[in-house]
Amino acid sequence: PATAPGKKITARLKRTLPVRGPQAPTLSELMRWYCLNTNTHGCRRIVVSRGRLRRLLWILLTLSAVGLILWQCAELLMNYYSASVSVTVQFQKLPFPAVTICNINPYKYSAMKEYLSELDKETKKALETFYGFSEGKSKVRRSVDDWNSSVSDFFQQIPLLKVEDFPRTATELHSGQKRKIEGSVFHKDSSIVNSGDSNDIIGFQLCDANNSSECALYTFSSGVNAIQEWYKLHYMNIMAQIPLETKEKLSYSADDLLLTCFFDGLSCDKRHFTRFHHPLHGNCYTFNSGENGTILSTSTGGSEYGLQVVLYIDEADYNPFLVTSSGAKIIVHDQNEYPFIEDIGTEIETAAATSIGMHFTRSRKLSKPYSDCTETGADIPVENLYNKSYSLQICLHSCFQKAMVESCGCAQYAQPLPAGAEYCNYKKNPNWMYCYYRLHEKFVKEQLGCQQICKDACSFKEWALTTSIAQWPSTVSEDWMLRVLSWDKGQKLNKKLNKTDLANLMVFYKDLNERFISENPANTLVILLSNFGGQLGLWMSCSVVCVIEIVEVFLIDSLSIVLRRQWQKAKKWWSGRQRGRAPQASDPEGQGHHNPACLDEDLPTFTTALRLPLPQGSPLPRTPPPNYSTLRLETAFTKQLPDTLELSQH
Amino acid sequence: MNLKKYLVRALHRLQKGPGYTYKELLVWYCDNTNTHGPKRIIKEGPKKKLIWFFLTLLFASLVFWQWGILINTYLSYNVTSSLSIGFKTMKFPAVTICNANPFKYSEVKPLLRELDRLIEAALERILQPGNSSEDVFPPLNLELWNQIPLVLIDEHDKDNPIILDIFETNQTAMGNETAMGNETAMGNESLCSQQGSGNCTYRNFTSAAQAVTEWYILQSTSILSKVPLHERIRMGYQAEDMILACLYGAEPCNYKNFTQIYHPDHGNCYIFNWGMDEEALNSSNPGAEFGLKLILDISQQDYIPYLSSAAGARLMLHQQKSFPFLKDQGIYAMAGTETSIGVLVDELERMGYPYSDCTMNGSDVPVKNLYSQYNTSYSIQACLRSCFQNHMAEICGCGHYMFPLPEGVTYCNNEDNPGWAYCYSSLRSSIKQRQICIDSCKETCNDTQYKMTISMADWPSEASEDWIFHILSYERDMSTNVTLDRNGIIKLNIYFQEYNYRTISESAATTIVWLLSSLGGQFGFWMGGSVLCLIEFGEIIIDSLWITIINIISWCKGLQQRRARARFPDAPPTVSELVEAHTNLEAHTNLGFQHEAAGAVPEAEGLPPEPGTPPPNYDSLRVQPLDSLGPDSDTE
Repeated sequence: PATAPGKKITARLKRTLPVRGPQAPTLSELMRWYCLNTNTHGCRRIVVSRGRLRRLLWILLTLSAVGLILWQCAELLMNYYSASVSVTVQFQKLPFPAVTICNINPYKYSAMKEYLSELDKETKKALETFYGFSEGKSKVRRSVDDWNSSVSDFFQQIPLLKVEDFPRTATELHSGQKRKIEGSVFHKDSSIVNSGDSNDIIGFQLCDANNSSECALYTFSSGVNAIQEWYKLHYMNIMAQIPLETKEKLSYSADDLLLTCFFDGLSCDKRHFTRFHHPLHGNCYTFNSGENGTILSTSTGGSEYGLQVVLYIDEADYNPFLVTSSGAKIIVHDQNEYPFIEDIGTEIETAAATSIGMHFTRSRKLSKPYSDCTETGADIPVENLYNKSYSLQICLHSCFQKAMVESCGCAQYAQPLPAGAEYCNYKKNPNWMYCYYRLHEKFVKEQLGCQQICKDACSFKEWALTTSIAQWPSTVSEDWMLRVLSWDKGQKLNKKLNKTDLANLMVFYKDLNERFISENPANTLVILLSNFGGQLGLWMSCSVVCVIEIVEVFLIDSLSIVLRRQWQKAKKWWSGRQRGRAPQASDPEGQGHHNPACLDEDLPTFTTALRLPLPQGSPLPRTPPPNYSTLRLETAFTKQLPDTLELSQH
Repeated sequence: MNLKKYLVRALHRLQKGPGYTYKELLVWYCDNTNTHGPKRIIKEGPKKKLIWFFLTLLFASLVFWQWGILINTYLSYNVTSSLSIGFKTMKFPAVTICNANPFKYSEVKPLLRELDRLIEAALERILQPGNSSEDVFPPLNLELWNQIPLVLIDEHDKDNPIILDIFETNQTAMGNETAMGNETAMGNESLCSQQGSGNCTYRNFTSAAQAVTEWYILQSTSILSKVPLHERIRMGYQAEDMILACLYGAEPCNYKNFTQIYHPDHGNCYIFNWGMDEEALNSSNPGAEFGLKLILDISQQDYIPYLSSAAGARLMLHQQKSFPFLKDQGIYAMAGTETSIGVLVDELERMGYPYSDCTMNGSDVPVKNLYSQYNTSYSIQACLRSCFQNHMAEICGCGHYMFPLPEGVTYCNNEDNPGWAYCYSSLRSSIKQRQICIDSCKETCNDTQYKMTISMADWPSEASEDWIFHILSYERDMSTNVTLDRNGIIKLNIYFQEYNYRTISESAATTIVWLLSSLGGQFGFWMGGSVLCLIEFGEIIIDSLWITIINIISWCKGLQQRRARARFPDAPPTVSELVEAHTNLEAHTNLGFQHEAAGAVPEAEGLPPEPGTPPPNYDSLRVQPLDSLGPDSDTE
């Protein structure tokens, strides 16, 4: 009695939800039933068609439709991660970008005298011996003797060479002795060297300090480049030893650089500028750097409402060897961006008004999996040495600096210091130049892997600049303009300014239209499913229900039919054996899910179910046979196509 | 006749009661619908029935959910952009050429004489405060000065800045006026409205050069605004003086091909190919050879010294029939150089409402476009300036000289509107006013920009200088003397680049066709359904409503009859009662059903309704035996 309720429930369950296998007894029966009753369109045609050819045709058509569906759906899946681009224009109050202004000359030459006098003397001497150039007539002939007596550090470290009989012998500059060239030869200017002009080739040799046989000769087709490059190497070496505070003092102050400032119709002064020390350009000043938390914005376009500054470029105080052009360099950038002024700066001419019209474009790419870009740079294994938001440029520079510290043991002067490293100089790292050049060459040839590691940023802002120049000051206004500007400059400068010392700069928005180019996912899951549905419906009028049907019929039902067959066979075989041995043996108790005994005997098969006898006890004697479609079809079959019917019965 | 027949039939049906029950209706629907799920529900055994019922429900709700998403997507009116780049024959842009200086100094000198003397004296005082020569003769007219004086503000003492009028020696300590500025002395201008000294503002400049220039512009604006327009045009640069040579493609052109327009900033401007009177010129070849070549003379000697310090030509490329806003989009060309400008037309075509908030022709913008008096098309710059001028006319009572006038308003000048400079300057720096204008103006849907690649070279070269100056001077003045020099002469080449257009055009990302096909796709994907299925469903709902109505009516009738039976207990059974009894006996063999399925045929044949009932032919019959057989087999 304890187990009675459980049994009752199971019995009741069995009664209400009886487990019966598929109604069709055989596989072909099942297929036929499926084809007739499925919702897809092709299958039914196969069964209904008369004639072999037509049936074959329908089989082919159905199969090709299935193939097409599979192909198209695969195509849809593969194109799932595609993006569409939309461009929106919005007219609005725009944030004014940061404008960084540098003098092309990094440090006041007069202030740098004590550090550079030695180097300059050597350079002048080199110029004299090589090209017969001398500044003053007094030192025309006296040089050679005292030169040989004291060979300077500079030439010992990196000798300037004149290459004769390229590429075998070279004359050393200071001693005049010839020597054989060992090691590899690099050309800084170009890879194509006209060997006929080999007399003109000048260069310098960098040797591995630990292993003097490993040398690299860098040659230039023009002495201008060679001397400048050579000077720059020594210059960087000297500057690396000067602490930052001193360097900032040696460079220009905001008062030195900026004469007048005018923004958005209002006067501004040096407090609107933030100092930023650039290793190669000295003190630069960033307008609207956003450092004090506010970012200026413009609500009117046009030259009157932008930034107007007059810059004082003290051309007389320029370093003659380091920079050969005069003027200022500016760069328009976002407040979070690092200004790579040496790479993408715009040069400003003196004695001219440079008007720079800006047009603002913001772009945004989709990150993974749509494209290979990075949102914040956090997923890139290169440490960001700059205190600014990620950009490709920052990544490449940081990557190079890292490699430099790893392989040379010290950091390159033009880039920020990684933690725990210091800038290269001769005293501590006698080998650094050779190492640097080697590394730099590898970097350019993409052998360091930096270009592979660094990805571009997903979103970026761009200010397209239209630059034009007018003469400034005009001839008639020159007189009063220079006088007033000299007065503005203050009492410390008593001489009248020269117009070649001045540059007028206007930076303004041409219009306040912000273009925003963004990528959007072209597909969403909803659209993908719609497309699937469209494909399925177009070719076969199929749906998810069909798919479930297919799973049901082709997997579950066919499997159970096959199993049932096997079970019956096994049973027959078993009972045959039993009868042979002991004919009184009882039937096996088949009570499992697929009880073939039950099914075989009682369950009306599909066909039997369809061939219901007419209700005999019907109260309406005149009732014609039911005329629902499947039934009628079946009768049509038996009449017209006895062969197919026979086929299906077998 | 038909109507009567129909009504009779309806009456019969009402008498008979419902043709079928809800269950029959549902079974019939499930079996005959074209959607894929319901058929399964009734076809299989009870377990599968349950599964399929839930599956069908799930799919139906999925379909509705996704439909919601799709419709939402459609209503957000997204756009996709397509880009095309290439070269095609295009309208050559309109080219506006101005001199950076608005008037010939020789012409306006009489008007500005007083002002110039004033500023010279002021500069003298600023630069040499000690030894200023007091014997100015004739004495200065200080009337102009007193309206807007230039002052020096000494802010060494932050709280108590010392304000020093340049022409007066008395020092006034300002009380409640905070002048933000520097520690150092600087040139300032002070603006006072006429309402009393309490309403003064000092515009601060850190640089005297800036202050002097701004002051001069304010004063000269006031003077020149009184001069009638034709007089101002006469004082400006004339086309024949300015445009020395012109060549378009291979065809010569001259100053007569230029349309004159008076621009408040730059005086007389000349527009080539504006397309106002004649057809716009096309250019079908890239390269400098086929572009516009100009030689201009800006005669720098004749510049007004204090008004514009930059010298050069101002030029701008713009669309036909649009007003050139040179301060915004213009570029400079330097004297003594050849400036080459390669042009790329960067176009953005947008769809307008509801896809993006832009205007096709400006007619739906609430700002009156003052530039329409030039017959030019709407642009955002025109709108902003009109908006400002309208505000100015409203608040200050006069219009600013730089912008066109609204009706019935005159330009501001110091005599008629003494406080205008104060009013203007406070309006100009008002952020609120700017925001109002930005909000009320809309950008145009078709945004065309001319991207310029500008390059310069020295021109004329030293070797060719002599003969070029000689010929140009001769052509202009018929004189053998050289009247031109390097400082005044400009060569311009404007031409299309190899790729001359880049068009970004918008198209709707979601069209109604897209929406329908996506809806169909979803419905098809989950349930294999179509619009017809929806109609089927609607039909079923109508049918069931019909059943309900019939049921209610029959129930009411039953109520009446019961009352009647209470009076006559032996009343014969009505038709509907018979039918009810019948259906109770045999639920599946519904007699009334025949009428619905077979239509009007049985009645038309005049069959007797009761005994001659045709056999039921709906499909539920087929299902029922299967079901009834099922339990039988199990009970064994």
